[in-house]
Amino acid sequence: MPDRPSSGRNAAGAPLEGRAVGGRPRVQAEHLRVDGDVVPAGAPGASLLEVLRGAGIFAAKQACGRGECGACTVLVGDRAVMSCTMPAAVVTDEVTTAAGLGDDAADLRAAFADHAAFQCGFCTPGQVVRAAAVLRESVDRSRDEIAREMSGNICRCTGYRQIVDAVCAVAESRQAAR
Amino acid sequence: MIGESIRPLDWAEKTAGTARYAADEPPAGTLVARVLRSPLPHADIKRLDVSAALRVPGVHAVVTAADFPEGRVYEHSGGPYSDRPPMAVDRVLYVGHEVAAVAAETAEAADEAIRAIRVRYRRRKAVLTVPDALAPGAPQLHQRADGANVAVATAEHWGDVDLAQANAAFQAGGTFRYPRVNHACMEPNTTIAWWHDERLEMWTSSQAPHFVVHELANLFGLELDQVVCRDVAVGGGFGSKSKISEHEALAAALSMKCGRPVLLELSRAEEFAFTKPRHAFTTQLAAHADTEGRLCFLDAVIDVDNGAYNHYGPSVMRAGIKQLGSMYRPDAVRWDARLVDTNLVPGGQFRGYGQPQTAIGLETLMDELAEQCGQDPIDFRISNSGLPDTTQLSGSQVGSNRLRECLAEVRDRIGWDAKRGPERRPYRGVGVSSGMHASGSYAYPGGNTSAAGIEVRTTGEVVVRFGGADAGTGQRTILGQIAADVLGVPMDRVGVIMADWDETPPDMGAWSSRGTHMGGHAVRQSAEAMAARLCELGAEKLGTDDVTLRDGCVVSGADRIPIENLVDGALRIDTEYVEPKMQPYWTGIERPNISATYAYAAHAVEVEVDPGTGVISVLGYAAVHDIGKAINPALVEGQIIGGAVQGLGAALGEKLHYEGGRLVNAGYVHYPLPRATTVPSIDVGLVEGPEPAGPFNAKSVGEIALIPAAPALLNAVYDATGIRFRELPLTPDVVLAALRERDGVTPRRHHLARRPGRWQIGLFRALYPYGIHLLLDRWGTRFARRPAPRPVERVALPATVAEAVAELATPDATVIGGGTDVLVQRDQELLFPTVLVGTGAIASMRGIEEKPGGDWRIGAAVTLAELATWASERVPMVASAIATIASAQIREVATVAGNLGQEKRCWFFRNGFDCYKRGGVTCPCYAVDGDHRLHHAAIGGHRCQAVTPSDLATVFDALGAEVVLTGPSGSRSVSITSLYAGPGELDLRTGELVEAIVLPASALAARGVFVKLQQWDGDFALVSLAASVTVGDDGRWTGARYVFGGLAPKPWQPPRLTRALAGAVPTADAVAGVLDQDLSWEAHPLPGNRWKLDAAIGLARQATEQLLLGRTRDEESDD
Repeated sequence: MPDRPSSGRNAAGAPLEGRAVGGRPRVQAEHLRVDGDVVPAGAPGASLLEVLRGAGIFAAKQACGRGECGACTVLVGDRAVMSCTMPAAVVTDEVTTAAGLGDDAADLRAAFADHAAFQCGFCTPGQVVRAAAVLRESVDRSRDEIAREMSGNICRCTGYRQIVDAVCAVAESRQAAR
Repeated sequence: MIGESIRPLDWAEKTAGTARYAADEPPAGTLVARVLRSPLPHADIKRLDVSAALRVPGVHAVVTAADFPEGRVYEHSGGPYSDRPPMAVDRVLYVGHEVAAVAAETAEAADEAIRAIRVRYRRRKAVLTVPDALAPGAPQLHQRADGANVAVATAEHWGDVDLAQANAAFQAGGTFRYPRVNHACMEPNTTIAWWHDERLEMWTSSQAPHFVVHELANLFGLELDQVVCRDVAVGGGFGSKSKISEHEALAAALSMKCGRPVLLELSRAEEFAFTKPRHAFTTQLAAHADTEGRLCFLDAVIDVDNGAYNHYGPSVMRAGIKQLGSMYRPDAVRWDARLVDTNLVPGGQFRGYGQPQTAIGLETLMDELAEQCGQDPIDFRISNSGLPDTTQLSGSQVGSNRLRECLAEVRDRIGWDAKRGPERRPYRGVGVSSGMHASGSYAYPGGNTSAAGIEVRTTGEVVVRFGGADAGTGQRTILGQIAADVLGVPMDRVGVIMADWDETPPDMGAWSSRGTHMGGHAVRQSAEAMAARLCELGAEKLGTDDVTLRDGCVVSGADRIPIENLVDGALRIDTEYVEPKMQPYWTGIERPNISATYAYAAHAVEVEVDPGTGVISVLGYAAVHDIGKAINPALVEGQIIGGAVQGLGAALGEKLHYEGGRLVNAGYVHYPLPRATTVPSIDVGLVEGPEPAGPFNAKSVGEIALIPAAPALLNAVYDATGIRFRELPLTPDVVLAALRERDGVTPRRHHLARRPGRWQIGLFRALYPYGIHLLLDRWGTRFARRPAPRPVERVALPATVAEAVAELATPDATVIGGGTDVLVQRDQELLFPTVLVGTGAIASMRGIEEKPGGDWRIGAAVTLAELATWASERVPMVASAIATIASAQIREVATVAGNLGQEKRCWFFRNGFDCYKRGGVTCPCYAVDGDHRLHHAAIGGHRCQAVTPSDLATVFDALGAEVVLTGPSGSRSVSITSLYAGPGELDLRTGELVEAIVLPASALAARGVFVKLQQWDGDFALVSLAASVTVGDDGRWTGARYVFGGLAPKPWQPPRLTRALAGAVPTADAVAGVLDQDLSWEAHPLPGNRWKLDAAIGLARQATEQLLLGRTRDEESDD
């Protein structure tokens, strides 16, 4: 059985022809929209993470700087991405960090607390953002699927069980609330 | 309150990302620091000139050893063990040794200043292994009293050795190796130091401000109250931050020189390469049992790789030895142990502290003795378990000990009896291990003492003041719970201030699993004093002595007074707790009882070993702990699961690999620590019961859970395979090679004498160890090309392919898709493009469309996530391959062309080695003699042994895809094999880009399978196979293409197999047989990667079986 692909906005299988993601303009924007604020776009070669932290937005964490661990995960539009390897210059959509998720993630954050799904907390903002994206896309997921969807986010403290427990619990409660 | 799984106190900030870690919210004017480190493992510094660095605009301070008081060294364990100055003095002793540090306005200026520092080294012979260090005539790192390069030697015994030996009837023994392992805390070591107003203010990621304050005061000649650490969130420690971590002193020195706040944040590569890892142990252990099956004697010869300085190596070694006399009840334990200096980064403190290293030996031999005695491993452990209320050989005066209960419960939880019974499945096994750990230790003066303050404010808030730091253990919450419980106030009125000695009484911090025991007692004691005082005040007001504390009030019958009404301003009580049961290590007590309580555990694990690939899957895991009392069960479980998973990581993959003293795998991508999908859901059992010495009966839990994980896994793998592995980690290469040896398979012959095309490479490889490597490494790399760092000047986002091609005419322009490799290559100093040409706005490259004739054209800038969605129904093999690539986050932005065009992932090339591909023709390929087991070619390697990392290349090749390349002179189409000039190198003409991939109609009609051998979900392929075939109505195969990734510099198709499959009705055995011939005649493996050929056959069997199953399924659905 092929693994279910993680995401993609063309689930109907319609060809993507002519569709530029986010309607990218041809010149780099001077500003980025982040958590409802506007921040300067930074130097041409800057990563999105550098721009965020340079602007005093610390909810995205630098842990590897190479797109290998997920601690810097933010939403660009509705896509969860690694901000440390994403050139800020190609970002045009609104950026959302863990601090900007707001009420949408209240149940998720509470579940992380109730399941002790964090210890040192450094990877947690990235975990929460990734989990938010996974659940926005679908709440009808098995435990294994959720673990697979979350597997790009390294946690060195918890051993993962409680993180997966927390995300599963929210998936179930959102299913029930439907 | 005690015993409740309440939420961690800091949950709101931690889950929103607003908790403040050391690097967050730096004070205004904070400078950025960088460190110049030795590139050599052992050399004299002949000249060190920092003058040019000081002239770089924006640089405010440069420090070297000369900026520290002469002769000053870190205190560490003190006395003769103190051997390390804060920076290299005239000589460097390991790769990474700090030579200079700079602070500048920007990171770029700091980097430039580092490059401007001139150092002339004179290379000395280095000792990189323990045997080298002990060889006669080896260069000596230090003057040591115990022998050349022997930092500490100890040969002693406990108990009556003669009697124990006389009793011995059964014997088991072996040599066990535990490698260097990195903590890999998610937060890199980070400090902001600010010298102002004659005081050093530190925001630092530490478990133990005590050691930071004391060491800095000592180094700089300050009073203790001139150094203060602020209360910041700490992103993991696992022991590494339980003492000073060196970078704090550099940040402090820089700030003291310029008076500005200085931020020193290690990169992930520095974190892996230069922080102090777990000490590697080589333990020759023999275990003896008497005729009754009673363990009677343990005899150990232990060599510990100290690295270049002592730090806490002496006590790590001692703790490892101590464990041998603490778990069971032998009559005697004898040891001969040496702590040996080597020119590697020094070892440090890591969760478990020497005990995981010796436990793999002890617990393996317990299993072997059980087997010899004809006993079940769990029964054998139960009958040999230490007992409650006894003094053990090691001197531990044990109160409660419920190891036997733990072993009994873990048997049920893992389903031991059924899984070892006659119905068992082949290649599945279960294993068990015991574990124990003290709760704190009296290892240093003051180790038996802790202090805490309790304050009641007029707002009704209760504030706990505690001088240790919480690196994620949950200590903050536990201490708050204890205070709330004693004072009868609800948790939401309790706050805890930690680490900041302006606000708290001092404490020694979090190490030796002392947080709950020592801190818990200190807070309990202060809270009890506060409770007594509040009751006294309340009693006065209520006019009765019959009062209690409840719901934030002093209560007597129906009368109550809120506690805030009893305090005038604020009431604060600080007390110091001195643990009466602890005895000190250093005062001459022969076998001191260093701790007050001892925790025990039993872990059991079930594994499945894949005989085709050597991959071990952990199917189930149960951990049962004698905890005394779980003050917060959810947090206790968190410590247990987290510890067990760290132990599994070390058992299954984690290891620091060095080449010439330099770390090879300095990144998460090359360091296979556990991921969410690689570990099972761990089942935890808590055994509770009285422990009068513990606070509320609680015993420690921080370190113990890591210890039994690896030995339990080793025992399970034995149960599954009959093979005793005695060295970690159990990577697939090790397992597969051992299985082949077990089965008596003769090594494959490669007929090199009859393959003239390989003679030149064969000769070259043969001569590598005899001078070629040395010549190219020492002298050739002097001519290595190293691109000069330059900033990106411009990002172009063209709207058409023609515009993109025009942009690519600019020198040093690079095309980017998602950009996920370009910024990484900049960071790795492989590539410094000045213009980035993005393809995301080129509509024609962003779509997937069907062409006349049924072929499909996939735009090169389509993301992997988009392609997977499109492919899931049409070409499932493509979707299943994409699901194994990197992470969901990367797949969202990474493009098809970016995946095909990504640079090779060879760990030498990527991690800064001046190799043939990075530095040029005068440079060596480090893989030839270095560690090439996992990531290098076994077929067709030339001067470079790297492979093409792209999984899509493998899949597209199997599907017969064509690649459309467009450049200034128009478009052309090439096959996947002609797309590559070398490993991960596209054969593009100047100004050309990958515009699209064309999948032939036949690809969509074919049946396909992708299988991949990887160490974690998202890893690059060690070996992968994409197989595509069209199956006729008669079951005959046509157009079969089996393409392997990870085996050769480019995707590789076995020629004999391709011919044999044409028109055949194959079986998995037949495919394996023909492939074996191909591998014999085509492969030219390096000594360490022969196993990949066997794994390729394993994958081919898997793939063929799946393809054949597909046929069966079709036939069934036809019926």
